[in-house]
Amino acid sequence: MTDTQNDVEATGWRSDKFIAGLAKRKRSERRFRLTGLLAILTALTLLGILLFSIFSTGYTAFIQTYITLDVTFSESVIDKNGARDPAELRAANYNRLVQDALRKKFPEVTSRGDLRTLFSLVSNDASQTLREMVEKDPGLIGKTVPVRLLAGDDVDMVRKGYIDRESAEEDRRVKNEELVWLDALLKEGAVSTHFNSGFFTNGDSREPEKAGIAGAMVGSFYTLIITMIIAFPIGVMTAIYLEEFAPKNKLNDLIEVNINNLAAVPSIVFGLLGLAIFLNVAHLPRSAPLVGGLTLALMTLPTIIIAARAAIRAVPDSIRQAALGLGASSQQAAFHHILPLSMPGILTGTIIGLSQALGETAPLLMIGMVAFIADVPSTISDPATVMPVQIYLWADSSERAFVEKTSGAIMVLLGFLILMNAFAIVLRKKFERRW
Amino acid sequence: MLNKTFSLAMVATVASVAFAGQALARDQIRIVGSSTVFPFSTAVAEAFGSSGKFKTPVVESTGSGGGLKLFCAGADLNTPDMTNASRRIKKSEVENCAKNGVADITEVKIGFDGIVLANSKTAAPLNLTKKQIFMALAKQVPVNGKLVDNPYKTWKDVDPSLPDIRIEVLGPPPTSGTRDAFVELAMEGGAKEFEMLAELKKADKKAFKAVAHTVREDGAYIEAGENDNLIVQKLESNADAVGIFGFSFLDQNADKLQGAIVGGVEPTFENIADGKYGISRSLFFYVKDSHVGQVPGIKEFIAEFTSEKAFGEYGYLTEKGLIPLTEAEREKVRADAMALVPLKLM
Amino acid sequence: MSFYPLLIVLLLMSAVGYWFGSKKALSAVRKSSNFITPRPHQFGLYVVIWALVPPVFLGALWLMLQMTPLQMEAGTTQQIDRIFFPVLVLLAAGAGLYLSILRINPDLRVRKTIEGLVYIILILASIVSILTTLGIVLSLLFETIQFFKKVPMTEFFFGLNWSPQTALRADQVGSSGSFGSIPLFTGTLLITFIAMCVAVPLGLLSAVYMTEYASGKFRAVVKPLLEILAGIPTVVYGFFAALTVGVFFRDVGDSIGIDIVSESALAAGVVMGMMIIPFVSSLSDDIIMAVPQSLRDGSYGLGATKSETVRKVILPAALPGIVGAVLLAVSRAIGETMIVVMAAGFAANLTANPLEAVTTVTVQIVGLLVGDQEFDSAKTLAAFALALVLFAVTLTLNVIALIVVRKYREKYD
Repeated sequence: MTDTQNDVEATGWRSDKFIAGLAKRKRSERRFRLTGLLAILTALTLLGILLFSIFSTGYTAFIQTYITLDVTFSESVIDKNGARDPAELRAANYNRLVQDALRKKFPEVTSRGDLRTLFSLVSNDASQTLREMVEKDPGLIGKTVPVRLLAGDDVDMVRKGYIDRESAEEDRRVKNEELVWLDALLKEGAVSTHFNSGFFTNGDSREPEKAGIAGAMVGSFYTLIITMIIAFPIGVMTAIYLEEFAPKNKLNDLIEVNINNLAAVPSIVFGLLGLAIFLNVAHLPRSAPLVGGLTLALMTLPTIIIAARAAIRAVPDSIRQAALGLGASSQQAAFHHILPLSMPGILTGTIIGLSQALGETAPLLMIGMVAFIADVPSTISDPATVMPVQIYLWADSSERAFVEKTSGAIMVLLGFLILMNAFAIVLRKKFERRW
Repeated sequence: MLNKTFSLAMVATVASVAFAGQALARDQIRIVGSSTVFPFSTAVAEAFGSSGKFKTPVVESTGSGGGLKLFCAGADLNTPDMTNASRRIKKSEVENCAKNGVADITEVKIGFDGIVLANSKTAAPLNLTKKQIFMALAKQVPVNGKLVDNPYKTWKDVDPSLPDIRIEVLGPPPTSGTRDAFVELAMEGGAKEFEMLAELKKADKKAFKAVAHTVREDGAYIEAGENDNLIVQKLESNADAVGIFGFSFLDQNADKLQGAIVGGVEPTFENIADGKYGISRSLFFYVKDSHVGQVPGIKEFIAEFTSEKAFGEYGYLTEKGLIPLTEAEREKVRADAMALVPLKLM
Repeated sequence: MSFYPLLIVLLLMSAVGYWFGSKKALSAVRKSSNFITPRPHQFGLYVVIWALVPPVFLGALWLMLQMTPLQMEAGTTQQIDRIFFPVLVLLAAGAGLYLSILRINPDLRVRKTIEGLVYIILILASIVSILTTLGIVLSLLFETIQFFKKVPMTEFFFGLNWSPQTALRADQVGSSGSFGSIPLFTGTLLITFIAMCVAVPLGLLSAVYMTEYASGKFRAVVKPLLEILAGIPTVVYGFFAALTVGVFFRDVGDSIGIDIVSESALAAGVVMGMMIIPFVSSLSDDIIMAVPQSLRDGSYGLGATKSETVRKVILPAALPGIVGAVLLAVSRAIGETMIVVMAAGFAANLTANPLEAVTTVTVQIVGLLVGDQEFDSAKTLAAFALALVLFAVTLTLNVIALIVVRKYREKYD
């Protein structure tokens, strides 16, 4: 207000030192904030690169090449007696029909070797398709109808550009004559591409064009359900016990150390444990989702317990005291108040644990789930495999067409993961709070 | 309320576990064993299953050793009916089998698997001799009449005719049957060509094998695991590297990779089949005779596997990369397998 | 009677018991002069407990009997299974129901019984993890002892050279078979260290940003996105590390004149770190959220900026929890298998240079277990020994961590 005050050295927040420092502090604040944002962006970029590298090779797995041929359902081949006997119709040689159709289209091909190559244009799944058609409608016999048949994997690879037509013939799996035939078919408009629904409905197969993930998806589903039913309640109960009731003694210290330690045990060791307990002692069926789920439950348990404990610990003591003060027993306080409040954290931990279980391969090796299983499992004790194992097995196959199938399967697995996470978010949103 | 749900869930699970444990009788063949035979075994299993009479067998990939361990665990129906192996069964394993009540085993040899050295098409093709392979990859090599730690850094160091690039070989780890066969056929073959080592062989066979079978560990040989597709992709991205893997992967990736010529012979299907290309090994599967008749379809499965349309010269297994046996051998294998002639190890 | 009908009958019986029990309790309580009585549904639960506990107990007993190598005739077993056991179970359940309903009166301390049972169940649940550990040790111990019969302990623990090039077949002669495990453990530590260098800063900073700065919308989108990283199958990471990252580092090295092998520890470590980011970020996120708002308000009230509050107040308060989260992440990194199998390979070099190839304990365990060699050879047995030693090592680490966290843990409210 008056000049004299200017002579007095400013103190507190008005001091020069403070004001000079303020700019510095603000800068440091901005820097810190930026670093945090940068960290998130880096992590997201890494995720983006990873996803891109999968999607760019994987999306073609959802498209499949088909060849439309005029197939004559000649009676002399599939129903010699003319009796329309279902058993006979089932066992007939439908391959012959496909071969006849191809021969008719390319009458100039005669030598045995060339014919073999010609027949490989169409997948051997074609006979299955024809059989189903005839079984559904026996009236087809004797008629000639255009049928859309699954193309062989080599044709599919050429169509998708994974096999370079320009490279030298001896380097190519698809020879020049095949390309000539293919071009002829293309010109007629007989070659088409469609959504590959078989990828979602078929079991595993050694023929890439037929191979699907239905078996693995169902197997994963059963396995994960078992894992969840076992690991979630046991994990939460353990966490509640350790946080709310356990007296501080050596035994409970032991339990605590032990749980942290289990999280570090290599997953394949859990496979050895599963082999010893569930297969050798309890005589449960080998390769079954039941055993896989039990083994993975033991593996996931520490993750869930640790996360659940952290979440329970985060609930302020005042809640507990208030409940106790109103006459609740310590169990009522725990189950009616603390557990619901810590649920979001517990769910996060559970989802992380379960998604870890969903992506696990190594422990399943020992209990027989790394296997070729063509049938889709119908119960939890049928032999089954799971998605990551399917991915692992396909990645190890020599056929080129399995490369895109591998990436396609990964994309589906990621889809499930995102669904699971979305579910967790909904739950978390409902409960999350800050003290 | 919550704890009630928990306990109910617990009871239900304990219950279903107990329930599932009771299912025993099996109508599905179970096969375990080598990851090398896996692609062939599964192809047969699928063809067998699609004929509609039997369920598709379950084929596990456990490695030859793990497979034989499971196979020999006992004779009851919880154990597998067959096991695949990329090497012959050992005497100790047969004894272990017998001890656990698995007395009669039938051995079926299904064909060969060629082991190739290959590099990227963008690099110059390699033309090697077994001796050069030994010199490039052994831990100790004879130089001026003395065994010294492998001094060769580049292929040119090994032989002036070879390119001047660093030796970088991606191959299987010592637990692999592929590695075992490669060491025995390629490196031991090369070692014999050194006069000094040939003499050592006469004098002290063990010492000779120790030299011939030991792969260098200074980084030139990279143990890259069993996933051959991964090796293929690594070769594609690294033109200087050379890979060791099964023939079927070279066959599938012929547009990207080229096989090294070994001893003047190219690794082609024909050359491996008639035995000109020296580095190949036999593949087997073993059948538990006591399960035949108990599990439906075992005999039919063997028949399918040993039929001409499967392991014959133009069979579907050759398309998957299996190198067939000679016709006479196939006949014999088929007859023995169908008669379930028990294995006798000398 | 087979299993499911029995279960259904039991559940039906307990449902009826619940209904009767609570009904009887209601009328009894109405007549009672007591001011505080247990609530009717607690009486119902009490009855259910008495109906279910005896059968469950009997069932467990019977299961155990079946598993013991006690020789019983198959016919007898089946008969017991079919007739004797179900009858016994139903009798026990009926008796439990009847007696417990009979006992109902307002003065009965029902809650105590219920809570006693819950307490026992809780303890049983925590014992599962101890049993797991016991099971692991037991399933490893036998083979480990066999291994140490073949290979001297001193070589295994102090040997600097790992090269299990022993022969696969009896007629071959083993070449250099040395089982010194030190290179494997240093390799594991190296890769874990690199992974932590990536995951801890990125994870922690993301968690801080997300809890203290980000808007609700940002958080709702980004947090689940980051969690995807934890769920991607490790096989996928393995391919990514081997084909994309490893090659990328080698090319970068080539262009600046440093020799980086494509199987470098760096590639495997970085990708593993990537996988672990959500472990660190999600868990520390929850922990930072749990720091009471009053601490933040106090700090702001004293004029601190947000970043100062985070660094000087929140992080110290959350430190024990964060250390716990990081330790969990370290554990995960040590136990991780597929990434290293594909990206790092099997070369056991004793080096601290991240640009060279190393191998880890888990890689060797997998390689040895699924190999083609004979199962009883020293090679396969080494896998069991390695697993057991790894188990012991992490156990020691965890004990130390527990002591540290205990010492510095603070409790706020």
